[in-house]
Amino acid sequence: MEASDTYLIRPNHQHKFKPAVVKECIREVVRERLSGLRYDPEEVPELSRSLADCIKDKVKNSGFDRYKLVVQVVIGEQRGQGVKMSSRCLWDADTDSYAEDVFMNDSLFCAVAVFGSYYY
Amino acid sequence: MFPLNLQTAFIVEEVSKIIKESVEAAIGGNAYQHSRVNQWSTSVVEQCLSQLSKLGKPFKYIVTCIIMQKNGAGLQTASTCFWDNSTDGSCAVRWENKSMYCIVSVFGLAI
Repeated sequence: MEASDTYLIRPNHQHKFKPAVVKECIREVVRERLSGLRYDPEEVPELSRSLADCIKDKVKNSGFDRYKLVVQVVIGEQRGQGVKMSSRCLWDADTDSYAEDVFMNDSLFCAVAVFGSYYY
Repeated sequence: MFPLNLQTAFIVEEVSKIIKESVEAAIGGNAYQHSRVNQWSTSVVEQCLSQLSKLGKPFKYIVTCIIMQKNGAGLQTASTCFWDNSTDGSCAVRWENKSMYCIVSVFGLAI
């Protein structure tokens, strides 16, 4: 991302990070790739990486130009254990936001969080 | 744009140390308890964030924490970022004790 010369310190409404749109992106990608899949410890590292890249590309193409993105994907095996995932951010609440989604089937669960931070 | 100044760079060792201290302080000698997990993960994350903001660097931070009970199940986390490689950075720390795992990731985005 290079420094560009627009002096926009706030995104206008069309370009604001829209959590609902991003959540839909996440949902589509995850459901398409993980439905019916079983947890396989050999494949999971590659799968989680490629899911993260896929989601990042999809969100980028949704038109959030001035946003830096962080996509985190967590895939775990379902064995009845307890899991808790939480996050906190120190950012500009007017311009930055996040979207998350959780997918579960019988053998695995997948939690995805996408954070968007405006680049002034 | 390269950060020439150490005062404004994302230093992984420093952040990693902050994370380790926060996790130790919040869940140090405890065994996994479902009823306390909410409070633990909140306190890990809030501690980390307040220590990071005390560094006074021009960064926006995103801190995530995953606490998982140990029962033989597998867990994989991956993250990908679209940012400026020369100024932004991330750090992930994996901590465990006899009954649970705790994975904390911190992403620092330069302003």
